[in-house]
Amino acid sequence: MQRLLNIILLFKEYFVVALLIVTSLILLSFNDNVQIRAIRSYTIGFIGIVQDAVSIIPNILELKRENEILRQLNVNLSDEVNRLREARLENMRLRTMLGMKEKSEFKLVPGDIIGKSLQLLRNTVTLNIGEQDGVKPDMPIISETGLIGKIITTSAHYSIGQMMINKDFRASAKIQRSRIDGIIAWGGGNAVQLMNVAKTADVKVGDVVTTSEYSSTFPPEIKIGVVSRLAEQPGSLFKEIDVIPVVDFPSIEQVFVVTALVDTERINLDHKNTRPKK
Amino acid sequence: MSRHFKYFFFAFLLIMIQTKIVNIISLEGITPDLLIIWLVYVAIINGQMTATIWGFTTGIMFDLVTGNFIGLSALSKTVAGFTAGYFYGENKATMTLGSYRYVIIVLLISMVHNSIYFAVFTRGSEIGIWRAIFQYGLASTFYTAAVTLLPMFIFARKYIR
Repeated sequence: MQRLLNIILLFKEYFVVALLIVTSLILLSFNDNVQIRAIRSYTIGFIGIVQDAVSIIPNILELKRENEILRQLNVNLSDEVNRLREARLENMRLRTMLGMKEKSEFKLVPGDIIGKSLQLLRNTVTLNIGEQDGVKPDMPIISETGLIGKIITTSAHYSIGQMMINKDFRASAKIQRSRIDGIIAWGGGNAVQLMNVAKTADVKVGDVVTTSEYSSTFPPEIKIGVVSRLAEQPGSLFKEIDVIPVVDFPSIEQVFVVTALVDTERINLDHKNTRPKK
Repeated sequence: MSRHFKYFFFAFLLIMIQTKIVNIISLEGITPDLLIIWLVYVAIINGQMTATIWGFTTGIMFDLVTGNFIGLSALSKTVAGFTAGYFYGENKATMTLGSYRYVIIVLLISMVHNSIYFAVFTRGSEIGIWRAIFQYGLASTFYTAAVTLLPMFIFARKYIR
């Protein structure tokens, strides 16, 4: 026994590092565990208060850039509002004719980004809104320009969002012009990829990509980005499509969370159908 | 004991700076890793055991603050702290911190850290491991090493006359 203790003491650094590595691997494999989620939620609540206090420090370098973006956006939106007014009137007429009920508008909760982790491709944001504001995991995060991501963790007053430029992010999307469907994912770099689009599909550089009706998480017709590159590999059935997001992720400071949207009945039905039958 | 309280407070402060302020100096989404600079400092001053434990502690704190992949930073920073411990020298700690050796050690440890991090991080994703290591890992490593020049000069003024 004494001999064993002596060996452990002699190699204590190796025992400690082995123990901590095993602990880290266990934590990695239990990422969605209820207890881990609870610890995460408490930590976000605590850290959020500190980050909120620090958020009075302005990012001067980004202010000028943001100002320019907002000015440009203002011009674009004024133009778009005029066109939408026309379209809405036309839409109302057509809907009345078809007897369709008016689609309910989304309930949006505004929030500020109080922390941003762009380090080592993590790409998450901390928001100063949480469960008490009606925010829940899987709710979409949008800005006035387009889709940003979705909520992954919440506490009472704070939440953490996963940005579209995150390796685990997926969203059903479509080409606005040709109604071709695909899945948005991020493979590193400035662009996201529209995947699972057949080589024969009608896609052009400059096409606008939006969220699709097939998503049970994101509302349809939210702008994602613009197709910037098309390529085809000989051995693949699908096109390689790069999409430049409309949102400037490093400079965003205010966002909206779309609440009262997650259709649990639909999600449960989807899960029921995709679960293998015994 | 008071040293560990001081370390805990300092680690917490660095995590706050890392998530809130460091983004201001990000270049194309690449940011320096202040925790690695600090971890190498801890390893040089206190040795392998302390650096390994603080690597795990700061890693788990960072994982919890950033919200997902709990255990990933803990794993990579534990190994980084352990590896950095090999550069411990009781009588030459201040000499190391005030010289370019500190920058080179940070460079090596950051490379080890990023390699482990991306080897796990890129699993099951569209991001290729080599692309992640060379495009993001190396850029972050060199940026971290460049930022290390600042504490190095401070230590050089303080310890080496």
